[in-house]
Amino acid sequence: MNNGYFDKFLMIDLSSGNSWEAAVPDWLKASFVGGKGYGLRLLYDLAPPQGDPLAADNVLMFMTGPLTGTLAPSMRACVVTKSPLTGTLLDSYFGGSFGPEIKYCGYDGIIITGRASEPVYLWIDDGRVEIRPARKLWGISTLEVNKTIKEELKDDSVKIACIGPAGENMVSFALISCEYNRQAGRGGAGAVMGSKNLKAVALRGSKPVRVWDQGKFLEAVELAYRELKDNPDIKSLTLTGTASSVPFANEAGVLPRRNYYDGVFEGADEISDFGQNKHLWLRSDACTGCPIRCSKMGYLRSGRYRGTVSDIVEYETAAMLGSNLEISDVKAVTHLAHLCDTLGLDSMSAGGAIGFAMEAAEKNLLPQQRVCGHEIKFGSVEAAEGLLRAIALREDGPGILLAGGVRRAAEKLGVQAEQFAVHIKGLETPAWGPRGATGIALSLMTADRGGCHQRGMPLGEDLGGVPWQGRQVDRLAVTGKAEIVIHHQNYLAALDTFVKCDFGTFGLSPATYLKLYHSCTGRSLEGEEGLQALGARIWNMGRLYNLREGINPAEDTLPPRFGEPLPSGPCKGHSFSRDDLKTMVEEYYQLRGWTAKGVPGEETLKKLQLTDTFCRF
Amino acid sequence: MRAVIYSNFDLCSGCNICRMICSEKKTGGTNPRLALLNLEKHGLVYRPVVCAQCRNAFCLKVCPVEAVYRQEDSGAVLIDRAKCTGCGLCAEACPVCAIVMDKQAGIARKCDLCGGDPACVRYCPTGALELVILGGDKDE
Repeated sequence: MNNGYFDKFLMIDLSSGNSWEAAVPDWLKASFVGGKGYGLRLLYDLAPPQGDPLAADNVLMFMTGPLTGTLAPSMRACVVTKSPLTGTLLDSYFGGSFGPEIKYCGYDGIIITGRASEPVYLWIDDGRVEIRPARKLWGISTLEVNKTIKEELKDDSVKIACIGPAGENMVSFALISCEYNRQAGRGGAGAVMGSKNLKAVALRGSKPVRVWDQGKFLEAVELAYRELKDNPDIKSLTLTGTASSVPFANEAGVLPRRNYYDGVFEGADEISDFGQNKHLWLRSDACTGCPIRCSKMGYLRSGRYRGTVSDIVEYETAAMLGSNLEISDVKAVTHLAHLCDTLGLDSMSAGGAIGFAMEAAEKNLLPQQRVCGHEIKFGSVEAAEGLLRAIALREDGPGILLAGGVRRAAEKLGVQAEQFAVHIKGLETPAWGPRGATGIALSLMTADRGGCHQRGMPLGEDLGGVPWQGRQVDRLAVTGKAEIVIHHQNYLAALDTFVKCDFGTFGLSPATYLKLYHSCTGRSLEGEEGLQALGARIWNMGRLYNLREGINPAEDTLPPRFGEPLPSGPCKGHSFSRDDLKTMVEEYYQLRGWTAKGVPGEETLKKLQLTDTFCRF
Repeated sequence: MRAVIYSNFDLCSGCNICRMICSEKKTGGTNPRLALLNLEKHGLVYRPVVCAQCRNAFCLKVCPVEAVYRQEDSGAVLIDRAKCTGCGLCAEACPVCAIVMDKQAGIARKCDLCGGDPACVRYCPTGALELVILGGDKDE
């Protein structure tokens, strides 16, 4: 097929051990394109309504888009499933080389159902599928599994996605580690994999991805390279990854400190690109097909953690495991991030959960105030490390308490703890404290997988002086943000069908994405309006799914912490009142064409060609 | 003199764009595994492994049908598709594993420097691959 697709899914039922190929239906391709679109639509159709995310009948999907595995720069793939952390849809994106290899095996996606009776891993060698025993792999770390499977298969070039101990123990925020050390991090996809007794998926594919018009496609690729090269934001990512966002967020007063109590941190420079460059980095590293190379590789040369080989500590992790815990030793933060990677924990939720525990300890709310002999308190690297291990292994005490995420932990500790449980719909929020930036707040409140920073957060408009339709944006305005957020949510949801990387969007224009898509597939999305329409269809599809699963629209809100005024920094004194939140959400629902109760209206669904879903909903 | 692709391994990010464009140009589709150059991971670095266009080329020496030959002006070692029988002896003899057996076409394929303007060098975003002209004509 010369259109970027293989038009086939690999279906695997771990309960029976059967696997088969299923043709991708034309209607799915026409309306949902790939990646997020395929994933959400199939999640709606294949996962039982209100099912248990950790039950055998949950679906675990690895989805690519038409541009995954091609030369189109900065593309990724995603895992789609029902989240054990939030109960919402979960689409979690990963770079590296596992996504392209799905295509090279001849599939647009791998759809896994059922549960194996004992630990197994999948070995997919072009079209051949083998379910192999994995009892010997159970209990070992992500990077060790990667190495061991390559030795077993006698091939270094095999691409592997696997879980660590946290996934095996079904920690609600366990990740899937994708070749190599790239994470489908958020929302607990690793726990779903663990619940299926699936330790890893190993791939080797020799099929080429062919595009529709090679000449036009390579022209578009070269245009895309030029756009990326000329863009100052991309240049910054090439030099310092996202680590340089630490001082940026600190200056803007939105860098979380002490479980989001404050928005500025004295040790910001130390954990930023400045400190990392000095103590860790040696060279740049890139995902397959990406010229940006935002990752930096190196090792710690001195001190207690000497010899630790690590990727860059990207912004979210540096903030959540650093400033949020009041840890400013960059080597220690690197060590904690590395520990999350190897244990298979989402470093963002882990930082949120540990920050919550440290505050709970401070308020004497924890039944056990120590972990591994160390007092649980802000600034303690030993306590943070002890908690990470205790969570991943679900050890008695704080480990079990936090393994279900902040929301469940707060429910156990009581009303007082819920006042500082920082999550939205169960997902620990990202390291962009929304006080002082109302657009960011609205995007977090309405994000489809809970408090997520990858769902149209208007960082540029709120904090970076980027104009919206020719006007500067007031970062504290309670109205006027909904249209910006909706535009970005739709745009990113559309590009998540290709499947784009967020960083590519900083440099590539919509027109270039459309050229890449058109010359690759031979299909047209009818310009930027077409992208908006596609994104809106997918966003509403996700909303219908979340509503079906019992998500209450009242959860489109912020946690109580953000109702407390910021104590210092440029946004000192800012907080959100209930009225603010109500005004923002009402405007958002209205512009979305949803009812006042947050349900997509019939007209909206008709316009987006989602009426068949509506009938069943 | 001869032109070769030189690899600055210290600049390589492991992005595989070189192999992707190579397979795209040479097979009409993208898959790094089908490329005519390799990327090896050694410790903290990647090392692009490219055809050295050897002056003492084993591939040329072992070919039983003289399908492998040297282009006079560039010094590049090439394979004549019409003569190649796909026996695989050249691939077996290559000390850097830079010859790929194309099972479908039943022939051996190797880097031909894209006729003097290698796509891998042109697409490399970091400068890890460079086309250089070597001297070394001492014994000729």
